[in-house]
Amino acid sequence: MKKPWEILKRIGFILISLLIGLWLWWIFTAYSDIPSFIFPAPDEVWLKLLSVIRDGSLLYHTVVTLQEVLWGLFLGLGAAILIGYILAKSRLIERVLAPYIVASQSIPIVAIAPLLVIWLGPGKFSKILTSALIVFFPVLVNTIVGLRSVPRELYDLMKSLQASPWQRIIKLEIPAAMPVFLGGLRIGATLAVIGAVVGEFVGADKGLGFLVNVGRGLYDTSLVFVSVFTLVFLALGLYGSVVLLESRLLSWQKKNNGQ
Amino acid sequence: MKTKIGIYLILLILILSACSGTKPPQSSPDGLTHIRLPMGYIPNVQYAPFYAAVELGYFTEEGIELEFDYSYETDGVALVGANELQFSIVSGEQVPIARAEGLPIVYVMAWYEKYPVAIISETEQNIQKPEDLVGKRVGLPGLFGANYVGLRALLGQVNLKESDLTLDSIGFNQVEILAAGADDAVVGYVANEPVQLKAQGYDLNIILVADYLDLVSNGLITNQITISDNPDLVGRMVSATLKGIKYTVENPEEAYEFCKKYVEGLEDADQAVQMEVLRTSIDLYQTDPYGYSHPSAWSNMQDVLIKMELMKSEINLEEAYTNEFSQ
Repeated sequence: MKKPWEILKRIGFILISLLIGLWLWWIFTAYSDIPSFIFPAPDEVWLKLLSVIRDGSLLYHTVVTLQEVLWGLFLGLGAAILIGYILAKSRLIERVLAPYIVASQSIPIVAIAPLLVIWLGPGKFSKILTSALIVFFPVLVNTIVGLRSVPRELYDLMKSLQASPWQRIIKLEIPAAMPVFLGGLRIGATLAVIGAVVGEFVGADKGLGFLVNVGRGLYDTSLVFVSVFTLVFLALGLYGSVVLLESRLLSWQKKNNGQ
Repeated sequence: MKTKIGIYLILLILILSACSGTKPPQSSPDGLTHIRLPMGYIPNVQYAPFYAAVELGYFTEEGIELEFDYSYETDGVALVGANELQFSIVSGEQVPIARAEGLPIVYVMAWYEKYPVAIISETEQNIQKPEDLVGKRVGLPGLFGANYVGLRALLGQVNLKESDLTLDSIGFNQVEILAAGADDAVVGYVANEPVQLKAQGYDLNIILVADYLDLVSNGLITNQITISDNPDLVGRMVSATLKGIKYTVENPEEAYEFCKKYVEGLEDADQAVQMEVLRTSIDLYQTDPYGYSHPSAWSNMQDVLIKMELMKSEINLEEAYTNEFSQ
């Protein structure tokens, strides 16, 4: 358990770092010839932030994107875990499906997103699917690696204890694969935000990606900055949530390591 | 220690200050002025006047070496506004919107007389006039840009509101969405989507925004710095472009042939369809005289943009455009 002083010190360093960043940003805009519609000053972005908070538009669009991200994560994770388990257990199925899975992930998501709009319509589902597709591969790979990293001896032990398949999954495979799986989830959580935004760039009338497009269309670069920063905080929040989940689910690991 | 920090800070400021927003046009080894021109869309037969003007040497005669840049329209506007580039091709609504945000761009040549946006639907939907859109599902690339402005202008002319219909943001997939029947109508460029759909056998109703309202349309922009520091360059750029437009209007087949060098895949495309795209867009060019901007089209556009709340207040339109270089 970290001491309060250590936590405060860490927060303090982060705040100092942010303040230095803001100061450098201000210096850059104050002393360069770059006009504000190309690179706005921090105070302009701050005023725009207050404006979109006041009129409720930032919250509205953030909630839309967050919903797409969470559903995309749920769908992507579910598919990756299910298919990952099957592939981990059967090398034959893995060899058959691997070319399709790898090929599908080689196609840039910006190329697939317009096709999803055509096939599924311009509603939320095409954005959720874009998000799920981008989450799928890293989580799938980590699921397979995690499951295959379970030592053979532990399977023998479970067999000797006459564990049922379900007990084997719950008591052995899931805990053993969890560290690697959660590593994939960390990556997936931030990618899910990218997926949802790409979907919104292609065709949407709400969401933070849409807000970026509106900002570009109106030469309101401050609005673009506000939207991008909000997306960053969204991604950081999701990443932080996974880290927290990791600390809860893997606390046994730290205990075993004497931490 | 403090001295060192101070020196590094000064160096940083000097380096950052050197990131000047002003870039004069570069000269090529031939002594020609190199101009990078954002076109706002992908290579297409609709840009035939420019391709023809390059191939026929109109730009070279004016001392210009033209490079085509197919980045987004808004990026072109921002770069011209920052004087990183001198010229860009834009749709008319971009100019008041950008000037309202402080971008010092100026529209110096009208290319299109008519606003090219249209509402396209299959005949079975029976959408023959704007009023028929009530209750319909209409797809458009997004709630921004020329398509959205054109739709809202049309609705405003017949006292309809956006809430009287359902809008779908479908990206640039109008042909596919209409063919799939996902929407009752789509908004697009009259020279593009309808031609492709008719070629696939669809019977269409087309409502052209320009039949209801004059709006400033596609043209050439520059910025105030270029006009004040280098008006001769602006004049030469406009002159070469107008020659290309005139040539294309008078010789569409020859102009089409020039496009094959610049539009990848055109040789293998349906020639009749692509030629029809060019002919339909030529019908939209007929400014009189060539390059002339009508004041009424500008005030109409400003009124539409203010009603749409894309502009908070009026700007001085006389500073937004000039016919000086096209006369």
